[in-house]
Amino acid sequence: MKGFDGKLVGSVYPITPEECKRVHDAAIRVLEQGGVRCDDERAAKMFEDVGCTLENNRELVKIPEKVVMDALGKCPSSFTLHGRNDPDLDCSIGTGEVHFCTVTGRYIDDIRTGERRKVTRQDAIDGTLMADALEHVHGLYKPVMWLYDEEMICNSQILTTEWMKHTNKPGTWVYNTGAEHEVSDLIKMWQIAAGGEEEMRRKPHMLGHVVVNPPRVIDVHYTDWLIGFCDSGTPLSIESALMGGATGPATRAGMLVQCMVEIYALVVQSQSYKPGHPLAFCSFSPAMDMRTGLWATGTPEFGINGGGIAAMANYHNIPVVGFGMSDSCEFDQQTAHEKALKNYNYALAGLSWIIDLGGTAGFNLVSWPEMVLENEMAAYIGEYLKGIQVDEERLSVDTILKVGPLPGSYMKEKHTRKWFREEFFMPELNNKEFFESWQRGHVELQEKAKQKALSILDNHQSPVAAEIQQELESYLGFCLQRDLG
Amino acid sequence: MSIIINDEYFDKLAQTIIDGEDEECVRLINAGLEAGVDPLEAVEKGLARGIDKVGEDFGTGVIFLPELAMAADVMKQGTAILDERIKASGSNRLSHGKIIIGTIKGDIHDIGKSVVAAVMQANGYDVIDIGIDIDVDTFIDAVKEHDADVLGMSTLLTLPLMEMEKVIIRMKDIGMRDNVKVIVGGCPVTQEFADEIGADAVGFDAQDAVFKLDGLLGINRPRRTAQLKAE
Repeated sequence: MKGFDGKLVGSVYPITPEECKRVHDAAIRVLEQGGVRCDDERAAKMFEDVGCTLENNRELVKIPEKVVMDALGKCPSSFTLHGRNDPDLDCSIGTGEVHFCTVTGRYIDDIRTGERRKVTRQDAIDGTLMADALEHVHGLYKPVMWLYDEEMICNSQILTTEWMKHTNKPGTWVYNTGAEHEVSDLIKMWQIAAGGEEEMRRKPHMLGHVVVNPPRVIDVHYTDWLIGFCDSGTPLSIESALMGGATGPATRAGMLVQCMVEIYALVVQSQSYKPGHPLAFCSFSPAMDMRTGLWATGTPEFGINGGGIAAMANYHNIPVVGFGMSDSCEFDQQTAHEKALKNYNYALAGLSWIIDLGGTAGFNLVSWPEMVLENEMAAYIGEYLKGIQVDEERLSVDTILKVGPLPGSYMKEKHTRKWFREEFFMPELNNKEFFESWQRGHVELQEKAKQKALSILDNHQSPVAAEIQQELESYLGFCLQRDLG
Repeated sequence: MSIIINDEYFDKLAQTIIDGEDEECVRLINAGLEAGVDPLEAVEKGLARGIDKVGEDFGTGVIFLPELAMAADVMKQGTAILDERIKASGSNRLSHGKIIIGTIKGDIHDIGKSVVAAVMQANGYDVIDIGIDIDVDTFIDAVKEHDADVLGMSTLLTLPLMEMEKVIIRMKDIGMRDNVKVIVGGCPVTQEFADEIGADAVGFDAQDAVFKLDGLLGINRPRRTAQLKAE
């Protein structure tokens, strides 16, 4: 699916190339002198195999710069997240296109009742169909966090079944419940959705997130996922989940250094396990809110840190992705400006895959009308990214000379008719009415979004082939029988 | 130079808590003990006054978590020295209550639980933070060892939630439950869940946890802004 590829993508970074070098050197100092902790022999072996030093009973890994640079040199500069059985849905990562992806939540503002309640299996279906129908939603994170109306055992399997049954758009996956068969079951389901194991290896459709446990611990569970992702051909998104002031330093530069320490460690680990495996750096590192201790996902420093990670990715010619999000506990002005500012900042810094649409309050709340509104926000950002195209015809000198000075109008000019649709943005929902007309009577923006969302839920059909849906159901049946009897 | 034990001394001691100055706090305590300060008085007129001010300032938004956490840490170091002397003299320090707190087995998230511990401590509770990934036996042993009034359990994850119930069941089995209150908290913990597993209270955030503890242990104190909000 074609992302937004305007000329401003990758044009604004919060640090200079010289500063990138300083951040890199600082991160290398930490890796060489302090290293990372690793409590898992499989991971220790991966680091040892490429020349890292293991100390403290093989739990402390010291990583020399050469090993980091060798590993970075093996990473492709781009990859594709494929539409499942639909090349029109392909998302190119690392080639100057920006794609928007949904985010997840534990609660939902019910579109029909207005009630705020815990999410259910039906919400997983609805959220997937919403994302499938919206033009500027290029990919999906899990449509809801968990299914509160289902058993916790096999919860991820049920959720993934509904997800894969209702869209062919590519997706992004982060560790869920930690249940025993989660890794192998989910990968099997993704393979079914792709049309088979080899087909998924050839055309991966999921981005697999691997996270360091900050500060500086290679997590056992994420090593399970790293192996699963690499074995199945699933590209990686590698990230530090530090919180500045708690599990990371309280300066923006220090946060970026620790992010790079942890990202470099995962680059080395993954490239040791599978040289040449595609990966992206990922922005997932907010500061801690200094009053509540919560992660402050909507604040500028999170977005700025993402820009810093993008600068480092650009410095090494590696793709970059990231999480958006807002701290607001409802969909309001705060959500709107936190998301718009951060996502535009992300897009300017060249993030290829921004995980943000349809949710707020740090993975706590989703809303389908909000997904509709943020679909429009994505369109706005895409338009901003175009900047100003300068060529002879667009400079319009002949037309300017022909029309002016007054009296004269451009409205009936062929030049106008040719260009206005491409050059001017026309929002679908945002208000453009005369003030007086609006005063006399109007439909609120939220209501317009709600009506569009209801229309999608009433009319949009899953594009997934019936036989794939049946195979997914069949595999889910196997999982349920195995785990719940 | 010998220190004179007077109001100025106690003010300085309180200030070390407010400023998070651990070395200065320990120096002043040791110097005070040499000069014959009553250790109980040093806690009540010095350290406790400092931590009360810190708790108040945090509740009203004057200071932030790092300042609170550092103050709680200095308080802990200071009371550890003075408690030894108090015990040796055969008396006991007044405390609102003793809390064991930890993150349950299967979860290694540390920050939320540590924030709650620091806020509890800043509000006059003795808090023993036993860490992360804590199994049933370790919780039970810690409650016994410290003769705690309250057990606090935390998690950010859903799957290990039932570990909380296992701990409560064990407490009942060994006859501990009637004497020890249980407070639970963390992202997936709801009031319904707490009721279901038989916990006494849920702390929905750090200030709320203190408010609930006060209720469980019958502590009356002037309400601060944040507590009123939580209520």
